[in-house]
Amino acid sequence: MSELDSFGAWLERQLRRSRVSQAELAAALNMTRAGVSAWVNNRAMPRADKLRSIEEFFGLLPGAATSLQDAEKRAVQRIWYHRRAHPDGGREFGNAAAFAFEADLATLAREATQNSLDEGLDPTRPVRVRYTLHELSGDQLRTFKDHLQWDDLEPHLRAAARHRQKVARVLAEGLRELDETDSLLLLRIDDYNAAGLTGPEYDDGRFAAVVRRQLDSRKAEGRPAGGSFGLGKATLWANSRLGLVLMNSTLSEPYEGHHERRMIGRLDLPWRRVDGEPFAGPAWLGEPDETPGFRRVARSWWADEETARALHLERDSQEPGTSFLIVGAHDMSNEGEPGRPDLLAMHTKLVVALADNFWAAMTAGENRPPLLQASVAALRNGEVVIPEQRVEPSEYFPAHVRALKAYLDGVTVDRLTAVDQVALARVPLLVPPLRGTGDKAVEHRAVLLVTPADHGDRDPGKIVYMRGSRMTVMKRRPREVPLGTDPFQAILLAGYATGEEGPEVAAAEAFLRASEPPEHDRWDRTEELAVVYARGALTRPRTFRADVDAALREIVGRREVQAKGGPSVLRELLQLDTAVGARRGEGYPTVRHIEGAIDDTGAWRVHIELRIPRRDDPWLLAPVAWFHGQEGGKATITWAELAAVENCEIDGENVRVSPGVGSASFAGITEVSSHLVPAGWARLAVDVRRARGART
Amino acid sequence: MKTLMPYPTVVGDIDVTIEKVALDGRDLPYSMISRNERVVALHEVERAEWEEARIALRVSLPEREIEAGPWTDVVCVAILTEGATNARLARPLRKRTDGAWVGSVPVSRTLHRTRASLTVSVVGTVGGVAGRVIGAADAAWVIDLTARAPERKKELNIVEIDFAASDEEWLIKLKESPWLVDTSGEMPTVYLNTGFEGLAPLLNGARSEMEKSARGLVASQIAGDAWTAMFHAAVSDLEIGDDGTPQVPSGWRESVLRQMLPDVIPGASLADALLEVHERRTDGQGWSALQTYIHHAAAKRARIPKYVRTAVRALDRAEDSER
Repeated sequence: MSELDSFGAWLERQLRRSRVSQAELAAALNMTRAGVSAWVNNRAMPRADKLRSIEEFFGLLPGAATSLQDAEKRAVQRIWYHRRAHPDGGREFGNAAAFAFEADLATLAREATQNSLDEGLDPTRPVRVRYTLHELSGDQLRTFKDHLQWDDLEPHLRAAARHRQKVARVLAEGLRELDETDSLLLLRIDDYNAAGLTGPEYDDGRFAAVVRRQLDSRKAEGRPAGGSFGLGKATLWANSRLGLVLMNSTLSEPYEGHHERRMIGRLDLPWRRVDGEPFAGPAWLGEPDETPGFRRVARSWWADEETARALHLERDSQEPGTSFLIVGAHDMSNEGEPGRPDLLAMHTKLVVALADNFWAAMTAGENRPPLLQASVAALRNGEVVIPEQRVEPSEYFPAHVRALKAYLDGVTVDRLTAVDQVALARVPLLVPPLRGTGDKAVEHRAVLLVTPADHGDRDPGKIVYMRGSRMTVMKRRPREVPLGTDPFQAILLAGYATGEEGPEVAAAEAFLRASEPPEHDRWDRTEELAVVYARGALTRPRTFRADVDAALREIVGRREVQAKGGPSVLRELLQLDTAVGARRGEGYPTVRHIEGAIDDTGAWRVHIELRIPRRDDPWLLAPVAWFHGQEGGKATITWAELAAVENCEIDGENVRVSPGVGSASFAGITEVSSHLVPAGWARLAVDVRRARGART
Repeated sequence: MKTLMPYPTVVGDIDVTIEKVALDGRDLPYSMISRNERVVALHEVERAEWEEARIALRVSLPEREIEAGPWTDVVCVAILTEGATNARLARPLRKRTDGAWVGSVPVSRTLHRTRASLTVSVVGTVGGVAGRVIGAADAAWVIDLTARAPERKKELNIVEIDFAASDEEWLIKLKESPWLVDTSGEMPTVYLNTGFEGLAPLLNGARSEMEKSARGLVASQIAGDAWTAMFHAAVSDLEIGDDGTPQVPSGWRESVLRQMLPDVIPGASLADALLEVHERRTDGQGWSALQTYIHHAAAKRARIPKYVRTAVRALDRAEDSER
């Protein structure tokens, strides 16, 4: 049993929570203070009757002292704690980190999911994330607001919404819509098999990084993190019109003896004055802290299932991970009707964003689970609107997924001979040593995968560069790929993305990360490379890309076929397939459209529209019809009847089109006796010819 | 021309993918298959003697449309044809559980000569009649038995050879000519006589402005001859349909006619223009008058006006600098 799971810790918590000193408890139980102190320090355990007395004293349910639960008879008290304004009078009208992001669901999906992936717990199983859109209105909304202690919150929201800054305007809009439509959109993001918000309330740890701090990225050393909980977490708040996010976390490592339902809410507002009192930005929803120095600050509380359910934060299982609830979720670029969030559009956007950013992490091999599973659902007042949909990467990136899967399964080839195959080539990356170490450069062998693109693949002909947890750094079109090369898809896996281990893999991962600018969107020369690595490091990313391009050309390029002979000056003049000819202007009438059916007598009755080049003279045209054979054979048919419809008249077997018109139409019935086969057996073709004898 | 079917047909896309090609059981490199141009090249120098190529293909049909439509007993058939040998082979494909139609088509060396055409048809029962074609892939694949690279032929052959030293009797006889055009083969061929002093170096390696302008003049002259010869060849061998009108030929002849007829008979559709040329040619009426237009169309393709202009200017400048 760890320190925190002990009876002593439990007792200390109860004392703090009830603001009772050890002496007071000792007096109430008719004991010495030293006796109580011995319990708190785990030097002794109370007898059974004393345990019951302790439960009674704190108003807890019977058995709480043995199971070390906090199940009280009374509900835990929750408060909103709003940070007082800075004593220096400074005012912040928005959270700088949140300003870096627009309220965009695609960005949110990317950042939040990357965080979950970086916080993955058991590497042998996928991290699961689920996005749930939930629109609340009417009674359901009222209940939710009650649990949120809306009455304490609202004055702050209204006050903050009075400013003119961006945050305030978004907030004002959010409140106005809430007032007018009486509905609120929640977006919940769950992850499972992730670390959860572990660590102490205020000191270093995941919890504090997310709940208490800004821009604390806690980048775990040596692991393929993309910078977890740094700037990215700000997208959660940026996507809430009210600046409000609630959290419920199941911890992978216990804190205060607890794993489940660590809950807290954080509100990010601009500076505001409420009831004459100035407040700085953030506020927290939680249990009032009784620790000296933090008195009355709202701290996370260990909630019961009922509370979690009421705040729409109950979790499926005891598996560690965190649920974030974005209250008043919105998307700048994708607003539905006012008051009716377009759940389908938002759902689609989330699915597409997850597929776009994480198709690689979601790809599984035969015997290798994916790194990530993601799904999206939408509800309205608890009723399912769009059932939970698992994001299937192969639906969006079939060729890419095939390539990666072939690599995971070890079924790649050296040379492509079939359309579904995946070719693999190793591209060496020489990682230079760190400056001043005198070490030698190490060689990492990156993996290049190439496969023919599928029909309808978006954006073929590029190489997707990945490292870390198969995170896309860039997509580049390789240089000097011969013209006319068939569309392909290519993936470059470097560093940990290769799925391999070893010092050279770690070195390559670190080197490539150092070669990324803060946007993490390319590998190029950076200041960090110059400072940290030995000479020659700056040009290394570029040579590596050139080597990748060369390896790709080796796979997709055709053997150069000898020039067809003959001087180029002459070849150029003898091109047979230049796309000229009939297309230019069409200086003659053509059939634009025909419509028709076979009548009871077996004749075709057709209506024919013509496109006519305008001119001052009439056109005299002969409509011709024939049965069109499979391989170009023709069986001519004659007309039994022709009738003018528009802009023309019938002249015997010809159609005379009025001068100056751009279109004309007429109707025709075919002569059944001229049909070599029944009309139902053949394809009818209709054209117009210049009438005989009518030289134009 | 527009056509109508007497029964409902499939509108959606029918996509054909060549999955792989094997020559006598050994897979060809995928680079010999071009999906852009829909061509399969079968000729590998290292394996000139093969007996059978096997083309594995996969077809995707607009399934939802077919399920909702009036068609039953729908099957998918691959058809391999070659006009030159009159070969025609149909192979039914089978439907995989994932909805794709797959199968393979053998290409027998003995049944084909140069370029076979591979198409896919969808056949079904509609209106109580079985075996109707209800859809076809938009474009055919070309299976080229003689090519090393999968490309549609876009250029004619140009052969540089010393006529006098050739094995061909007829070339030796014509050894005085700097160049010749032969339109009788599968593709027209231009022969350049390397035995003709100075011609090959001029065409392949002109340096000075004067040399370049002379090169242009000669090249456009050769090209003009070639286009004229090709036009005559294209209109002299026409097939006549049941209605007595000439059919538009296929292959390079069609390309030549499409490019040149609008200049020979302006303002007429391809069919009308072809009929007119055919009539003038067969009854002799106005055939000689038409030569002027054929010459004009060929000169335009060969860019003779441009090269003459360049040559004249170069001469002018040369004279100016001498003064």
